Amino acid sequence: MKNHFKIALAGNPNCGKTSIFNALTGARQHVGNYPGVTVESKSGSFFIGDIEIELVDLPGVYSLSSSSPEENVVFEELTKPGIDLILNVIDSSIPRRSLYLTTQLAELHIPMMLVFNMSDDALKKGIKFDIPKLEKYFGSPIVQTVGRTAAGVSELVKKLSKALGDLDHHGVPMLTYGGDIDDSIKDVADKIDALKIQKYSHIPSRFFAIKLLESDSCTMRLPEFKPVWGEVAAQIKHLSEIHAIDDTTTFMADRRYAMISGACRDSISMTGQRRREISDKIDAVMTNKFLGLPIFFAIIYVTFWFTFTCAQPFMDWIEAGFGWLGEFIGAHWSQQTLPYLRSLVIDGAIAGVGGVLVFLPNILFLFFAIAILEDSGYMSRAAFVMDGIMRKFGLQGRSFVPLILGFGCNVPAIMATRTIESDRDRKTTIMIIPLISCGARLPIYALIIPAFFARQYQAGVMFAMYAIGICIALLGARLMRSTFFKGDGEVYLMELPPYRMPSARSLLLHMWDRGKMYLHKAGTIIFATSIILYICNTYPQKQNFSKDFDAQIQEAQKAGQITADELAQLSVGAILSDEEIAQIKAQGSISDELAQRLSEKKLTPAQKAIVQNSNIANGRAVALENEKAAEMMEFTISGRVGKFLEPVFRHIGFDWKATTAAIGALAAKEVFVSQLGILYAEGSADEESVPLRQQLIRNYTPLQGFCLMLFSLLSIPCLATLAVMKRELNSWSLTFTTAAGLFVLAYSLTFIVYQLGSLFGIGTKLLG
Amino acid sequence: MNNEKAQSTSTQKKETTLADLPIGATAKIVKIIPHSRGEKKFADVGLVPGTELIMEARAPFGGLIRVKVMETSIALHSSDAKKILMSREE
Repeated sequence: MKNHFKIALAGNPNCGKTSIFNALTGARQHVGNYPGVTVESKSGSFFIGDIEIELVDLPGVYSLSSSSPEENVVFEELTKPGIDLILNVIDSSIPRRSLYLTTQLAELHIPMMLVFNMSDDALKKGIKFDIPKLEKYFGSPIVQTVGRTAAGVSELVKKLSKALGDLDHHGVPMLTYGGDIDDSIKDVADKIDALKIQKYSHIPSRFFAIKLLESDSCTMRLPEFKPVWGEVAAQIKHLSEIHAIDDTTTFMADRRYAMISGACRDSISMTGQRRREISDKIDAVMTNKFLGLPIFFAIIYVTFWFTFTCAQPFMDWIEAGFGWLGEFIGAHWSQQTLPYLRSLVIDGAIAGVGGVLVFLPNILFLFFAIAILEDSGYMSRAAFVMDGIMRKFGLQGRSFVPLILGFGCNVPAIMATRTIESDRDRKTTIMIIPLISCGARLPIYALIIPAFFARQYQAGVMFAMYAIGICIALLGARLMRSTFFKGDGEVYLMELPPYRMPSARSLLLHMWDRGKMYLHKAGTIIFATSIILYICNTYPQKQNFSKDFDAQIQEAQKAGQITADELAQLSVGAILSDEEIAQIKAQGSISDELAQRLSEKKLTPAQKAIVQNSNIANGRAVALENEKAAEMMEFTISGRVGKFLEPVFRHIGFDWKATTAAIGALAAKEVFVSQLGILYAEGSADEESVPLRQQLIRNYTPLQGFCLMLFSLLSIPCLATLAVMKRELNSWSLTFTTAAGLFVLAYSLTFIVYQLGSLFGIGTKLLG
Repeated sequence: MNNEKAQSTSTQKKETTLADLPIGATAKIVKIIPHSRGEKKFADVGLVPGTELIMEARAPFGGLIRVKVMETSIALHSSDAKKILMSREE
């Protein structure tokens, strides 16, 4: 007997297929994408004894036709040879709707097993099944389960192993479309048999005959069936005449529901409907025309509050941990052994990876919160109430949450677009997310705005930056709708499943899935780019400087040295503690901190002179070091590229330093600030750096400052965003187009602002 | 014409489209205008002639409506719902 089987898991959306999948495979899962489409593929494996079973989790669909990318995928996967058995999961609390897919799966004549899931709900609703009768009717064994609690799963495994042991003798379904229709099907099927199509020899011709008779585009697309088109058209004409109908595309659907009604009448009995009523009562409030939106905004606010509050301590720990790791390695790896590698590891790799990992808690908590909204069933209600507003901009209800997430970080925002089912809406949303001003752009505004704008304008300018981003994003969506993604698009159809209590297991799995994806994809890209950026910012190293910095720095330090005499002077009046005296002795000088503390105390004129002298010397040494760093930066690849590109960027108000900083910002937007700090010889600056602001005021006009911000807001997002975008769009060309489009947009808008501003003299002088 | 007929007696069946159904009303699908957009997709979730459904809600600002069909809530656009002809007991 075979010891390896391939089983396909099929079912409607929201039928609890995923919980059955998780219960069977545990953690042995592999998540990927089907080639060419943004449909997630998921597979896993498990053992029954020594038989290995590969379980393919097909996307949830209502039918085996071609009205969505998901249905195309399912159609293609199931018509491929190699599937030993179909495990069809059914929401048994709504049997009529759920069995519709089953009627089509049965026509494939692949051995099948039916999983009547959510049997607890069915019981509560008073639905009773005559299982032996149904088994006979569909020609397949049936197991009743409750996916959330994994009840019935061991029974499922038992029946599965029995079915796999006897695959050749699986049952045949007793499904018929009725007299004259079956005749038509048979006529077409006979013609197909005559073609002897090798590719589909494992699937009964009857399956394709039915698909052709309902003009299913998946089958009509297959060139193999072209020779029977004439026969199909004749049969359709015949059927529409005798049944007096003018549209045969939904004719088969009608018949299938009739079939199910027949089966249900015999073997399913129903009483009452309790569970649904509770769900409906909640919905009377949640999707209320007036209350729906306020409730939605409140829930979103709580979600973000939860995400950022809970993640903050973890982020601080990770940041501290990486700082410690860098210092630890720095302390134990002598500067003399392999100095280049040492610096690459500490300043490039550890700092870079730390910069990415720091966002991991955020991502995990965010997706945990999203999983709660998704699994409880609220997400589809949110989409329902937001749809009206979003549609005015060519988007849809489900686009809203990812866009809001974009304010935090574009990376998880793009990952969250997976909840958008329509391919086109998802792509549009992904492509405008980079315009939403993310948290990493905040330091840029926080540096520039206080430098150039008077206090009363600061909040307004900040708000304007966010508003510009949102407006251009929404306009961009509209524009894409009328160009790139023209036409009516897919028909909107969304199920609102009943509210359910999410299970901890599924929430954690969901969170872990996303977290792993983020670590793997963004992590590898960021790791590579931080190393590349480090190299660009460091090499080639300048050896000959405009002046002998090292000697001058030494000279300055010498001037600040504290002699034994001076130390004795300082000890007068007991203004120094014993530790401070020891510190001065060890260093031979007064540190900036200590000088600061001393200047706050009552000092004798002699002491004052000593502290002042030391301050001047320290300041001079730091200034020289910064000047040296700036000269080194200018000499590196980044500096050279900045200088090379300056003629292009000059027209939007950038000098070579700003250009270099903008290139660095590709790794992460906030790098813009630290790069600028290095170039302006102010050491490693952050957005609070006052000296750097002074430098900016000296070198740029407010107009240029605004242009720096505008360009940072609109231009290509960081590389991590691009990497995730590529993954979610599943296309290099769309990713590249988006990046190029954003660059052109940023450049041309900034160009217009700068040129018009210069022409009319707006903001060319400092305000106030 | 059907409206006039419906107004004449109160027990007669009234024909309308799914988009125009008042909230809370129960009605039966009579016909789906042939070759309209997404007819097959709708058929796959049970929107076929003969099915009974309940109009549940309308979304704020715009076109989405929510109906209960075969014990499941489905949201669809009212422009598509206009193509679905209904009849209900007055």
